[in-house]
Amino acid sequence: MSGPAKTIQPKTKRVLGLFGDFDQAFEVIADIRHYKVPGITVEDVTLKSPIEHPEIEEVLGERTCHIPKWSFAGGAFGFCFGFFFLASAQANFLAQPQGGKPIITIPSNIVLAYEMLILFGVLVTLTGFILGARLMRKPSGLYDTAISIDQIGIVIEVGDDEFQPLKDVFTKHNVIEVHEEALT
Amino acid sequence: MPSLLGNVFKGWSDYSKGIEQGGNQKYEHMFSMSIDLDKCTGCNACSTACYAENNLAWVGEYKFASRQSMHWMRIERYFDEPDVGSSDPESLDRGASFLPMMCQQCNAAPCEPVCPVAATYHTVDALNAQVYNRCIGSRYCANNCPFRVRYFNFYDNAPTAWPAPMDQGLNPDLSVRSKGVMEKCTFCIQRIRGANETAKREGRELKDGDIVTACQQTCPTSAIVFGDLLDKTSEISKIWKRQQVKLGTYKQEKENKDLRGYRIFEELNIEPKVLYLERVREV
Amino acid sequence: MSENHQHLTNEQVKDIDENIAWAKINNDVLNSMKNPRKGYWVALVLSALLFGVMIYAEVYQYRNGMGETLLNTSHMWDLYISSFVFWIGMSHSGTLLSAILHLVHADWRKPIYRFAEAMTTFSLLTAGLFPVIHLGRVWNFYWVMPYMSDRGIWPNFRSPLIWDAFAITSYLTSSVLFLYIGMIPDLAICRDNTTGWRKTLYTFLSLGWRGDDRQWRHFRFTYLMIACFLIPLAVSVHSIVSMDFAMAIMPGWHVTTFPPYFVAGALYSGCAAIITLFVLLRYFFKFEEYMTMPILDKVCKLTFVIAMVWTYLNLIEFSAVWYGHDIPSKEVLIAKATGPYSIFFWGMMFFGSVLPFSLLSKAVRRNMKIMFFISIFLNVGMFLERWMIVTPTLSMGYHPQGFNVMWPGWVEWAMVGGSFGWFGLLFLVFVKVFPCVSMYEVKEMVYHRKRTTYADVDEMMELHSGVPGPEAQTQQSGGA
Repeated sequence: MSGPAKTIQPKTKRVLGLFGDFDQAFEVIADIRHYKVPGITVEDVTLKSPIEHPEIEEVLGERTCHIPKWSFAGGAFGFCFGFFFLASAQANFLAQPQGGKPIITIPSNIVLAYEMLILFGVLVTLTGFILGARLMRKPSGLYDTAISIDQIGIVIEVGDDEFQPLKDVFTKHNVIEVHEEALT
Repeated sequence: MPSLLGNVFKGWSDYSKGIEQGGNQKYEHMFSMSIDLDKCTGCNACSTACYAENNLAWVGEYKFASRQSMHWMRIERYFDEPDVGSSDPESLDRGASFLPMMCQQCNAAPCEPVCPVAATYHTVDALNAQVYNRCIGSRYCANNCPFRVRYFNFYDNAPTAWPAPMDQGLNPDLSVRSKGVMEKCTFCIQRIRGANETAKREGRELKDGDIVTACQQTCPTSAIVFGDLLDKTSEISKIWKRQQVKLGTYKQEKENKDLRGYRIFEELNIEPKVLYLERVREV
Repeated sequence: MSENHQHLTNEQVKDIDENIAWAKINNDVLNSMKNPRKGYWVALVLSALLFGVMIYAEVYQYRNGMGETLLNTSHMWDLYISSFVFWIGMSHSGTLLSAILHLVHADWRKPIYRFAEAMTTFSLLTAGLFPVIHLGRVWNFYWVMPYMSDRGIWPNFRSPLIWDAFAITSYLTSSVLFLYIGMIPDLAICRDNTTGWRKTLYTFLSLGWRGDDRQWRHFRFTYLMIACFLIPLAVSVHSIVSMDFAMAIMPGWHVTTFPPYFVAGALYSGCAAIITLFVLLRYFFKFEEYMTMPILDKVCKLTFVIAMVWTYLNLIEFSAVWYGHDIPSKEVLIAKATGPYSIFFWGMMFFGSVLPFSLLSKAVRRNMKIMFFISIFLNVGMFLERWMIVTPTLSMGYHPQGFNVMWPGWVEWAMVGGSFGWFGLLFLVFVKVFPCVSMYEVKEMVYHRKRTTYADVDEMMELHSGVPGPEAQTQQSGGA
């Protein structure tokens, strides 16, 4: 039983293969997952797609996403900040007594802290999204507008030796175009 | 944060002290009023005096009929005894009951917590204060007042009401309100403050009779009595005690059913501080 | 196994044609953003004029005082607050479609939720005008915001109007962000297929979206998280608006069922507004393939269900008054039904509870013209409902000396009509600058209709290549 090739080559190029048939693209990834292309593991694969594919996770492998942690942190912060900010404001305000009600009214503070929970939860989730998805960064040159229409792209960073086997696998699965750029 | 905790405890101790006094916070005075409806003749002198004392603008017949007037003290007429006087509905002899209605300075006022900018609050004199400078005119307080005694400045009435040189006759002790601001009866707070200053200058405590509101001063039958409920020697305390009406409850238990004293809308649990003595009905 | 998948595929094809080419989806939606016809410019100018009427009325009211609205001492709120509640209510449509239906995987929402979400945002912007307009001293409206003032004065956090301010700020921010985030893949499509000022705008807005699996994964979670935040927020926002009334002591207002009643009414008017805009967009942009009849069918059924919920809560409120001994509340209810405002009360009952039964008929649901008018009348019913909440209570109250009958004047009507102009202006600009149909979601819909989804990757591997999957290989190797 032979395992994957252990040699690790320095990566010199980035390759984009465009596929019209999504199933063929998934099979390419399945091939890579089964170590059919030497030197490349499924961890190196980036998929560019016009729609989201939750099912691709099973072929592409478990990849982490920390957004729920950001949301929780934002919500917790919002609630605590909201409550204490309001309570401090009420406690320090001069003209406090109203309508026979206590100075720090719990029902109204809870309502407002709840709103702050949601506001900060949303804002912090958005921040987590921009940072985690690595948006707003200088993008690589490898992008084809066909991806925004109906083609799926597979991007892999390869070394010089691995390029041809990879291209063969692509061709086997009806690749439409192959682009490459040198890694700087 | 330390002031937050400090104020929480201070607030609680003030609240407990206030409960003892019959209210909800610690009070220095508790100004209240009693109006004897049997003595009231409906002459409207109190209403007029209030106009003069508090810089209230006249609005004209059309706006008055559209209910956009500014009379802090209004005389309500109830034609509830058709047997008294003439049976002709157009006749003036028709036995009306008169009820002078103004801000009841409720201890648990429903108008206070709903103001978005805290323009109305409860003072240490147990008065419901309206801060004209803070009011942005959302009018929620007026909607929540069951007595409908809050008046809104729908227009800038001042230029029409007091053209020069009539504005020389305004009371300098308080402001003329601009449009967009809520106002209501204040128990003549300018007179209360004036009496406080006089007492301090003379180095003594306030005593009963120092403060006379404009309506009380003008009433020809002395139907209106005003004073400090926390001062057990004041006339108003004696009237409240005699009528067996207590603060802090909405179900008064009276031993004598013929006692005439009652508060309006006290079942709403808002603790109004004006005691009305019901008109003696002919049996 | 495959028979099961076939069965699933057959059932799902009905909402949208599964053979639409994705390039066609892009083209149809992108074309809808270009080349406005004459009718569009006419509509834009009319909206602007209507908004101009509102501005004129506001200047008039600002200079002469609130008395021009014919409000009086006993009746301090009228159409401004009713419109405010109405517009906030309309804003719940987008949240319903985007967030709630997303969580229950109702795919039929995909072609229509973008304009619904836009409607949410613009309704909120319109609603936000009214708490400012109805103030007596408009120029001090910012005092409701909690900021560090040098005198240490804060707003009154006990007041439901402040809860309104917080809730609407949160809701507006969250809705705009939700709309924007959901649009990012679409903005990338627009960026790739346009030129000139549009390309610059979309390049800036799409934040460098490239369709990476990392980006899609984070996108999916973010959308889900914000949807999960937005649903309780939407419920709480309209509950808080209802507490403007429920926290008051007035008869007819101090009702515990107001929060759910208002939320049901909001979803109701939101759904009706979705139908109206659905018919308009489908007609003007020729979106027949995306905004299909089956989808309209489903929206109508949803509207009917919500109408019944609203009817139930309405009747429950009446029953509660009837059961209790609260005389003032009873008198307010009787005045609503038989007093000077009774025609509007019965109008509300008819448009809100009787008219939705027409949605049960398939012939009605499939007829675009009838649905357009029915949806408008449903919203008229909802506007009357808001007015019936505000006005009869204020025309009675507790004190008999406060009983009055007040009819709104031209200033209030100008403001209310003008708010529709403002909304129209925002929406018309939106449909030409941003894609009003979510392109990537329609593609997903077509994709999932076409493809069967496999239960696990091993099965997929076997079906395609006949080679056992890695788990089977490991087992073999482990056993060897």
